[in-house]
Amino acid sequence: MLSHPLFLITGMAIVTFIPRFFPLLLLSKKEISPSLSRWMSFIPVSIFAALVASDIFFWEGTFNLNPVLNIKLIPSVLVILIALKTKSLLWSMILGILAITVMWLIV
Amino acid sequence: MNRETVASGIKASSPIMVSYIALGIACGIVLYDAGFSVSHIFIMSVLVYAGAAQFLAASMVVLGASFPSIIVMVFFLNLRHILMSASISGFVKNRSLKFLSLFGHTLSDETFGINYSKFQEGWWTPSEALVTGVSNYGTWALSTAVGGMIGSQIPINTMIMNYALIAMFLCMMVLQFVSKPHIAAAGVSIILTVALTIVLQHNIALVIATVIASFVGYYVDSIENRRKGGHKHA
Repeated sequence: MLSHPLFLITGMAIVTFIPRFFPLLLLSKKEISPSLSRWMSFIPVSIFAALVASDIFFWEGTFNLNPVLNIKLIPSVLVILIALKTKSLLWSMILGILAITVMWLIV
Repeated sequence: MNRETVASGIKASSPIMVSYIALGIACGIVLYDAGFSVSHIFIMSVLVYAGAAQFLAASMVVLGASFPSIIVMVFFLNLRHILMSASISGFVKNRSLKFLSLFGHTLSDETFGINYSKFQEGWWTPSEALVTGVSNYGTWALSTAVGGMIGSQIPINTMIMNYALIAMFLCMMVLQFVSKPHIAAAGVSIILTVALTIVLQHNIALVIATVIASFVGYYVDSIENRRKGGHKHA
């Protein structure tokens, strides 16, 4: 067993809450200028792209564009096509899981 | 808060809840193996509620890292939430401190994604968004505790479980393809994230890439607006 894990947990809790709460508190009170809100409309798409890119192009910690070794690449192309067609989170997830499982079984 | 609000919030979060059950169990197993007791795992999920940070903590504890160094890493890992919190703030104007605290505390990547898309559809309310957040939160906390109880009795393929979330983010990205500048921002973000991750070997790459890409999107949008000579809303 770990000694004094509550110290670690408390520290983690503080550094997790601050970045999630304070922008919300500070920005939800006042009117945001049109240019700021136009800029902020580009944040979600950039975040999702970054979250995805930091995962799918890497295999076991290194950059890997070989679709046979990095089995996340082909399912990802498939998921993008499904998402464009259906606009459905659920279908994207179900078919994505199916595709990665198939890749995992055959490679 | 009426019954319809709760039902509609839970309906929106259901795909996320399903994947949180699987990933939460996996996370609980990893934390248990790292030396956390079931009650500490549950307390951590209730107070911290950040899957990526919890997985990170487990692996750093196993490597023998000090508590302060883990906390600093978690802080950097969480910087992306500043951007999420800021960009969703416009949809929860003039809410009570209690509302904002709970909404902020339960603002995971996935909760942000689903709520942001729903808010953009126009009919989503802050109450429904909070229900979505809290139901994801509760699911995660309970699932990690269950994972801790199971211990390493069941082998779980974390790569496949994790891919469920990646597939979801891919879909959320596609749902944000509302204009050419938004697609451009995504492209820039992908290239920068990969390049910076290779160079920096650190999660901060995501934050830098996101900030630069959103400025590029904004800039491309401004050029398009000027060329059309008209005003286009964000």
